[in-house]
Amino acid sequence: MTGNKKLLSLAILISPLVVFLFSLSLGPAAIPVPTLGKTLLSPLITSWSDAATPAQRDIIFGIRLPRLLLGLAVGAALSVSGASLQAVFKNPLVNEYILGISSGAAFGAALSIIVLGSSVPPQILAFVFALIAVGLVLLVSRSSESSLISVLLTGVIISAFFAALLSLVEFFASPYSLQALFYWLMGNLGTAGWSELAVTLPVIAVGLSVLLLMRWRLNVLSLGEEDARSLGVNVRRDQRLVVLTATLITAAATSAAGIIGWIGLIIPHLVRMTIGVDNRKVLPLSAALGASLLVLADDAARSLAAFEVPVGIFTSIIGIPLFILLLKKSSKIWS
Amino acid sequence: MSIQVRDLRYRRRNFELWIPEFDFATSKITAIVGPNGAGKTTFLKCLSALLPPSEGTIRVEGRDLRSLGETDRARRMAFVPQEQAAAFNFNVLDFVLMGRTAYLPLFGTPSARDRALAEESLAFVDFSHPSDRPTLQLSSGERRLVLIARALAQQTDILVLDEPTTFLDPRHETEIMELTRRLALEQKKTILVTLHNLDMAVRYADQLVFMKDGRIVTHGRPDEILTEDLLRRVYDIPMQILRHDGRLFIVK
Repeated sequence: MTGNKKLLSLAILISPLVVFLFSLSLGPAAIPVPTLGKTLLSPLITSWSDAATPAQRDIIFGIRLPRLLLGLAVGAALSVSGASLQAVFKNPLVNEYILGISSGAAFGAALSIIVLGSSVPPQILAFVFALIAVGLVLLVSRSSESSLISVLLTGVIISAFFAALLSLVEFFASPYSLQALFYWLMGNLGTAGWSELAVTLPVIAVGLSVLLLMRWRLNVLSLGEEDARSLGVNVRRDQRLVVLTATLITAAATSAAGIIGWIGLIIPHLVRMTIGVDNRKVLPLSAALGASLLVLADDAARSLAAFEVPVGIFTSIIGIPLFILLLKKSSKIWS
Repeated sequence: MSIQVRDLRYRRRNFELWIPEFDFATSKITAIVGPNGAGKTTFLKCLSALLPPSEGTIRVEGRDLRSLGETDRARRMAFVPQEQAAAFNFNVLDFVLMGRTAYLPLFGTPSARDRALAEESLAFVDFSHPSDRPTLQLSSGERRLVLIARALAQQTDILVLDEPTTFLDPRHETEIMELTRRLALEQKKTILVTLHNLDMAVRYADQLVFMKDGRIVTHGRPDEILTEDLLRRVYDIPMQILRHDGRLFIVK
């Protein structure tokens, strides 16, 4: 690796920390940086606990910190999940939602918002139905021989099925609950509180660790079934482990933050173009870059206009033109 | 005997491979030849556990192939495919390093020692370019060398090559065959190879196996079994065998 690439990798790896500190100070209520720092560390150093006013403490711990942590976790989860699935499926256009996760989650959220109302957070049913959708995909595609292609095709079919179910639920919904549903579907980091984070963050942390530990194995799996087997890999078992783990963290991210598209496609692509295709680097760097960029996109979404634009819309509007540009330049990465 | 085959059957649609009994000689080059569709590659892939036989047993160094786990098998035998269509454009060293996978745990990454072994393998096959070159930039001859280097990094006693010289020019073809001879002589590897070029097979193989319609027609040392009658029976066209300087040449 050349010096330039090393420098860039290092910059990407420390970027989440910089973005975190910057984003914490960003917002309508101006809080001085020393106050921020002291308040953040006050659980450890008790003498700093009165550095901020109670209102400032509420803003930091109740609003900005959970939102930031969720942004970092979701960005990392979607990017790593995308990068891992692209390696396993040997396909550059596979994204983290290909297995029906998004449509399953959307249907679950709709069911929750429209049938159960606002008393129950939609995240629970979204997570359950995301897993049901992927379970169905794996169950239906299990019997066929060329496993990967049939998994992709089944993913498309199951997605269409849950999209139809979603329409059905929407048809019976009141305008008020439809509005709440659409807001959730567009992807938003501000709706989840500490109680949702308590589930989301540990699930993502465990899943991310497993995939990051498998970064070399992902290289071998990306050679294809026959090659990987001849090199000594239990291909079916390892493929399943990757797909299940990627599903779990994507479902956790999606249920907490709604559908945030294009992160899992663009971030790994950017890393491969600038640093290289070796998953030993692609996975950790995608995690860091995904975390930073999603939080930055969220910063823009909440501070560019007087009202808040859902970040999911934002990532798609920026993401799609960027992806077209990348595709044109990336012929040297994909053989 | 490093590989023993007993009553091996592999069926698919209207084709059946049937090998009642065959033993591969240790530290020798065995070339499997025959017309297209004879079942050469199928046989090779059954031997490498890449295709599951319908019936019969294959013993590798005394152990039943089916009872060997993936890693155990990959430490005993390495398979060199005809082509590699990797989805990612890995560089040469990383690609060869993947040969070390059978020695790494599920969550492991290659160590400095693995790296040294990969570089050693590249040196053995005389790959002279910088090892950080992307594999996509290689010519097909160079790509074969890199595939063989990856198999060498597996440090196996048995090396299985599926038509390693197809589409190569005469120089690269000879280089690959010289390399397999060095591997048998210097590293005492048992080498199984399918070949289309009969001249190459006759010149480099210690043992020839003629296959047709999923069966072994005959096998033995080239100078002992090769007759014009055999060639006509296997290939369905008349061929002539010429002797020159103690070597056999086949003229179509």
